[in-house]
Amino acid sequence: RTGGGKMAVQAVHLEADAFLVCLNHALSTEKEEVMGLCIGEVPPAEGRPREGRVAALPVDTNRIVHIHSVIILRRSDKRKDRVEISPEQLSAASTEAEISFSRNSSRLSLPQSSYHGLLAEMTGRPMRVVGWYHSHPHITVWPSHVDVRTQAMYQMMDQGFVGLIFSCFIEDKNTKTGRILYTCFQSVQAQKSSDTARPWTDCCKVVEVSFLFAAFNYISYPSRYDRIEIPIHVVPHETIGKVCLESAVELPKILCQEEQDAYRRIHSLTHLDSVTKIHNGSVFTKNLCSQMSAISGPLLQWLEDRLEQNKQRMQELQQEKEQLLEELAALE
Amino acid sequence: MAASISGYTFSSVCYCSANSSADHEGFLLGEVRQEETVSISDSQISNTEFLQVIEIHNHEPCSKLFSFYDYAGKVNEESLDRILKDRRKNVIGWYRFRRNTQQQMSYREHIIHKQLTHILGVPDLVFLLFSFISTANNSTHALEYVLFRPNRSTDFFDKDGVMKDIRAIYQVYNALQEKVQAVCIDVEKSERVVEAFQADVNKLKRQIAQKKNEKEQEIRMQQAILSRQMPADNVEPMFVPRMSYTGFAVEGCTLEDSDVSDPPPPYSDFNTSTHDSSGSPGLLESSSIFMPRPQAVGSSSYVSTSAGLKYSGNGASMPSSQRALPDNVDESEDSDYENLLEPTESSDSEYSQTRESRPSAHPDGDSRNTQTSQI
Repeated sequence: RTGGGKMAVQAVHLEADAFLVCLNHALSTEKEEVMGLCIGEVPPAEGRPREGRVAALPVDTNRIVHIHSVIILRRSDKRKDRVEISPEQLSAASTEAEISFSRNSSRLSLPQSSYHGLLAEMTGRPMRVVGWYHSHPHITVWPSHVDVRTQAMYQMMDQGFVGLIFSCFIEDKNTKTGRILYTCFQSVQAQKSSDTARPWTDCCKVVEVSFLFAAFNYISYPSRYDRIEIPIHVVPHETIGKVCLESAVELPKILCQEEQDAYRRIHSLTHLDSVTKIHNGSVFTKNLCSQMSAISGPLLQWLEDRLEQNKQRMQELQQEKEQLLEELAALE
Repeated sequence: MAASISGYTFSSVCYCSANSSADHEGFLLGEVRQEETVSISDSQISNTEFLQVIEIHNHEPCSKLFSFYDYAGKVNEESLDRILKDRRKNVIGWYRFRRNTQQQMSYREHIIHKQLTHILGVPDLVFLLFSFISTANNSTHALEYVLFRPNRSTDFFDKDGVMKDIRAIYQVYNALQEKVQAVCIDVEKSERVVEAFQADVNKLKRQIAQKKNEKEQEIRMQQAILSRQMPADNVEPMFVPRMSYTGFAVEGCTLEDSDVSDPPPPYSDFNTSTHDSSGSPGLLESSSIFMPRPQAVGSSSYVSTSAGLKYSGNGASMPSSQRALPDNVDESEDSDYENLLEPTESSDSEYSQTRESRPSAHPDGDSRNTQTSQI
């Protein structure tokens, strides 16, 4: 049930350093869509007294979803237009405890560090997964109908779940203008009943869907979903938080792990001749080099520059602080 | 030309921009290299392509606006050095982030850019413009980016320091005026021809009328002679022939037709109290009557809503607009020209007057005419 058609989320506030990590991630890969999870909180709307009992996923209107950081996700299914995470893994990520991941899982796996614990420690407030984001390289920013369905599925679990899309590498040859867009959306069930008469095989391909996903489609007849727009604002955050920095440097690790997994799968086939093995080894080397020159190298450069800027800023702030202390002393 | 920027540098610029509530600017550091590609194919011996590649490695954000230039756009080299320090030699361009603005370089940005090319010694300095726009409900936002290399474009001022636009517009004005005068001469000639024809026609009409009169007179006289021989009871009313015009023609003045008609009815007074608006019931009832407003120099664009024939202040077709500005005209109709300097005693240019010292004896139209003739 989607709460009677009432929108559960009024707006999304995305901290600027989390925005930075999303952009880093979106701009890292031009040929494929990338995705990640948004970590944050949904503070209760003001003026609403919470009674003693704990309400599970309250259907409040006027909630603001606050995103403090993101988790970059790997995709085991690296095809261009498929970005999915199964609901079981999503609910796993939502627990307050450490995020667990399965090495043997052929689907998406989550990184090892405990982002929740870290964030909770720093902010003193429990953080959880409040949404997901993915990129549309060279594609329009609007969610495809698959995206809208995926979002609807997540909303079954959590009404306040939001979806973000970053569209990049959009270029207008005539005006020589480049563009980056980002949007925020949720899904609602389409009102018109005439549009819902579609066989479920049209809406999702059987082969790529996990068992749970298929079960979901059997249990509830898949009616048409529409997207609704959610206002999103980037909230200034002048320094980059620890969790965001760690997420940012996680990306090259994730890319390397994906490459290693692909190589290991091939390498485990023992019947290959030495020429093929050399070829595969070279492919791995080449891909890793390409990752380093596109991601790791520029990442290192950016971090060093940021370090320099921060040192400079420290000096300026130090001077300003001394001046202010003098001023304060003079006033007393 | 091709340009590249790493995703991290780009995101970092977006991040700094998101953190600032106003515009944001900074410098682009990197390198420019020339790539020469020689391709050999079966159809061609060799084909060399030159490509200039601009690689942006990182950016140096400015903590606030106007940190190395002032409001007039004058760049201060000391401040520039303080910001850049030893990274100065790596500067290949600069960038600006603005919200809800056009994707064009502003004039101040042009001025700053030109000074930077000289001060930094980079003739091919680039300018990266980021514009940010959002949908009305703030659910979708777009960041557009364009790279400019404006050093090849023309300057506003020519070598004499005169604004090029003034020369161009004066040429247009001259050409137009010449055309006007040429057509005027043709019109004058055609007027004379028409006049001559009209005079001929009138003369002929008069001659004909005269002849007809003479003929009628003859007939009458004959009839009178005949009627004297035969007694008649009823006397026909004497037909008084009209006095014919003596046919004088004042040069340049067309005479009225010999047909004397009733004088045209006088214009009726337009006021709301009359009830002779039988043909247009709604016309005089509404309080806002829009009348076509002749557009003259200094006309405003709004229409008069007064019910009478009175025109409001800024004399559209009234001769009063040719005089000195009347007192009831407010300050906002003064010249738009700005002066950032103090007016001097010996200023010979009308344009450098501030509003307070504007002489009231010079009407707008005349001063402009004299000025353009002095250029």
